This record gives sequence, C-alpha cells and structure tokens, in this order.
Amino acid sequence: MARTITLDHITKIEGHAKLRLKVDRGKVKQCHLTATEGARYFEGIVKGRRYNEAHEITSRICGICSCAHVIAAIQAVEDALGHAPTKQTKQLRLLLTLGERIRSHATHLYFLSLPDYLGYESALAMAKNHRPELQRALNLMRCGNGIIATLGARDLHPVSATVGGWLRLPKEGDMQKLRLSLDSVKKDAIATCDLFNSLKYPEFESKGKYFSLIHPKDYPFLEGEFGFGKERVKKSDYRSFLTEYHEPDSTANFVVKSDKRYFVGALARINNNRKLLSVDAQKMLRQSGISLPSRNPYHNTIAQAVELVHCVDQALEICSTLKIKPEEVEKIAPRAGTGVGMIEVPRGTLWHEYTLDAQGIITRTNIITPTAQNLLNIQEDIRQFVPRVLKKPRAQIILDVEKLIRSYDPCFSCSAHFLEVDWK
Amino acid sequence: MKLHVFGNEYLKEDSFAREVAEYVDAEIVSCRSPDELLDAEGPVRILDVVKDAESVRLITPERVKAQGMLSLHDFDLGFFLKLMKEMGMEKEIKIIGIPQRGNPQSIAKEVEACLKSLD
Repeated sequence: MARTITLDHITKIEGHAKLRLKVDRGKVKQCHLTATEGARYFEGIVKGRRYNEAHEITSRICGICSCAHVIAAIQAVEDALGHAPTKQTKQLRLLLTLGERIRSHATHLYFLSLPDYLGYESALAMAKNHRPELQRALNLMRCGNGIIATLGARDLHPVSATVGGWLRLPKEGDMQKLRLSLDSVKKDAIATCDLFNSLKYPEFESKGKYFSLIHPKDYPFLEGEFGFGKERVKKSDYRSFLTEYHEPDSTANFVVKSDKRYFVGALARINNNRKLLSVDAQKMLRQSGISLPSRNPYHNTIAQAVELVHCVDQALEICSTLKIKPEEVEKIAPRAGTGVGMIEVPRGTLWHEYTLDAQGIITRTNIITPTAQNLLNIQEDIRQFVPRVLKKPRAQIILDVEKLIRSYDPCFSCSAHFLEVDWK
Repeated sequence: MKLHVFGNEYLKEDSFAREVAEYVDAEIVSCRSPDELLDAEGPVRILDVVKDAESVRLITPERVKAQGMLSLHDFDLGFFLKLMKEMGMEKEIKIIGIPQRGNPQSIAKEVEACLKSLD
C-alpha cells in the first residue's frame, strides 16, 4: 500500500522547508525536499554597488551567520583586488568568526537538537527539568555574543570589519575581558561534550563524501584548500567542479560536485582535520567513541560539541597572545578582477565570489551557502534512511526524519536564491 | 531605577522604545540581546513596543506570547522571558509596553508614571 508523508513545515531548523515522501511496498518512490523561503535576491542587490559595500549587504543574508558572510565577502573582494591583509587583521577576523561559531553551535545543540534526544517537544518544555544544561547554553551564547559585540561593534551584522582591515580595533582591556569570559565558559564547553557524547545516536551511513577546507597546520576556518581525503581543489577553480541547479518547486539552490552529492559542516571538518583540533577537543573527540572518519550525519552533533571546545581554546589563545597594534584600514586602489572567498562557517563551507570592474563596481556575484551544498545529501539520506523505519508509527517516522534533517543544522533562509528563468 | 530598553533601531516600527527612552528620567540600559537580562540585579523593568497597543500599559511576562523555539531566529525577548520563568530564574520582571508610534515626549511622561507606580 502506498503511503505519503508530507512535512509541510519542518521545525527546529533555520527557515522554511517541506518534505514530500511517497512510499510504496517498502520502497521510497518519491523523496523531495524543498525550500519554501521567499526568494532573497542578494546576488542581484549587490550588483552595481561598490566593492566595499558587499560585506555590509550580504551580512543581511542571515542573522545567525552574519559575521561569516561579512568575512567571506571581504576575503573575496580582497582576492579580486590582489590584497593580502595583515596578520593582526586575519587574527581578529578569525576571532570574530569563532565567537559566532560558539554562539551558533551552543544554540543549535541545546535549543534545537537536545530536546529531540531527551524526548521533549522543545527547549521550553525541558527547561524545568534541565536548568543546568540550558544555563550552560546561555553562558556559551553570551560569551560568543560578547566576542562579536566587542570586535564587530554590534552583536549582529558587525560593522567594524572591512576591506583592508578594521574600522575600530579592540582595546587591550577588551581582550582581557574576553579572555576572562572564555576562561569561564571552558568548563561549559567540556560539559557540553560530555553531555552529547553520552547520547545515543541512530546508526546510519550517508553515501555522500565529506568536504571541507583542509589546512596543513591550523584547524581551518578562514584559510585552506577545499578537499576530501587527498583530493584538493583550488578556490579559483570552484566553478569547474561545483554545479548549482534549482528544482522547479523550490527556491533553494542545490549544489553537486562533479554531479555527485556531498556534505559539509562540523563532521566533515573533523573528519578531514581532527589532528589539528586543540588538545582538549581531541580528548573529547576520543571520549565520544565514534570511529572516524564518520559518514553518520547524526555525529555532526558530536562534532559541533567538540568544535565548541576547540573554538573556546583557539579564541583564548588569540586573546592571550595578540597584542593589538594601531593599524589604519589599508587603502586599496580599485581594479578589475574576480575573487573568491572560501571559509568554514558553523554549517559548512561558504563561498562568495565577486567580479569587479576597473572602478571597483561589482558586476557579478555568486554565493553558495553550506545548506545549498547539503540539500541533495539530506534528501538522499532520507531516501536511504526511511525504509529502515517504515514499521514504526507515523509520528515516530516523522520524528526520526526530522532528527536526520536537523542533524545537518540546515539554514533554508540562507540557501534560498532567486530562480533563474529561461525566457526562450 | 534601571530601565532596560529593547527594539531594533533599524526598523521604524520596532525602534520607538529607544526614541521614547531618550526622554525618560531613568537609568537607561540599551539591550541588544535578551540574554543581557541575566545580568540585571533586583527588579527588572523593560521598555518595549507592543504591536497594536493604543496606550502605555504595564505587562507581566506571563502575558507575552511566545511560541516554542522553531529556529534560532525565534530567540527573542518573548521566548527568553518564558525560558527564564520555566528555568525558575525568579526575577521580578515588569514590561512597560508602549504603542509603535506617537509623541515620544508625552509617552515618556506616561512611562515615568508607570515606573513610579512600581516603586
């Protein structure tokens, strides 16, 4: 007998998405994941603006990942202009994005993911019985917010980072305050790992390959090459291996690599770079007991918890060692060119590409978000996963599928692009 | 008396509390994120605009509508107040809700009267 399961609004993810699943005699006949967000038009909005406006505009793509879009846009524009930022500028950009990652991971882990595993409908429902856990989440979120507000001058859509440097530098006292705040949440990050390491995750293996930035020396967030195993791709060549396409009834962008699905995110980063995690993060990863590399998307939750520890450690190191020097924003002469910014953000690899004319006006833009890269993999994982849970009650099937989707921490708002129309 | 003021300054319909606060005789704490309330000591007084409100009103957190958290974007003041209550964070919280538009100076007078009534 054919069964159709439609999830009109998948909850506890970023943005709006819908899943239509049709099963006949134990086989999945149709599995279609669509984004139902309105078109965003950001690539069109940026066209015709000056090179140093891109990051301010594209920051608005997402309130959760605004720092990530700011830094990806700045790096892409600087690449187009042939500009290399100073070491201090790079360190502060990294610190800003670490703050955002601490906030984003803590919020996703405790408020969107944990209720699933503890059997609650929502974080509000578990608040009475799990106050210490939620207090921990709030501590981590506040610490992340503090880093962003200190460096970015605002806790959302930071305004200090710009092409060529920083419009406002933090003071030594600011760095000291951040250090104290990070010190105080280190135990919360460790306790988060302990908690998520203790949960039971479904057994499942995705057939998608895991891709992330890979770097020889540092756990990669803002620098490295895109790769998997020994496979490496130069960022300037990304158009020759990543293909974007749209489904007829979805506003989301889908992306494949060499016509095949793949996934990005914390698990992919850890699979590719685990030896570069901080000492304590590596310790927590070992305690998780998961065997690496892992293609189980549910382990993305553990990977986020491990990254929390790493991010706190790395941010602490920057705050402890970086002596802020007065540096003016470097003046960069506009020139024609194309540049790509490729960075790791909470949900995976983010790409920004800008083409400038000789006056520094943006003539073409392309943005690929992590969720766009994960969408096909999520959809195919569901197709692969559903037959094994078909004997369960309908509500349980829906919960299991939603948990699978949520494990990717997707952001459908950010993956929604305008549809390209063939007018012929 | 500290008055914690909320609202997005870039949205006209949401920023009116900040405009009114400039005329209120109180120690203004400009809040960008609801978790800043965790630091507040003693009774917490909040100034924020209320959709469809026609006059200045005192509101208890119980009356603020808050959905379950469906996405990270739902982490707003309403959700946070509910969360604090569910977590048993016993703070005496009162919200002075104001309309989304009007004369800021005269509304500020009403806000001051509200604050006095809470002393």
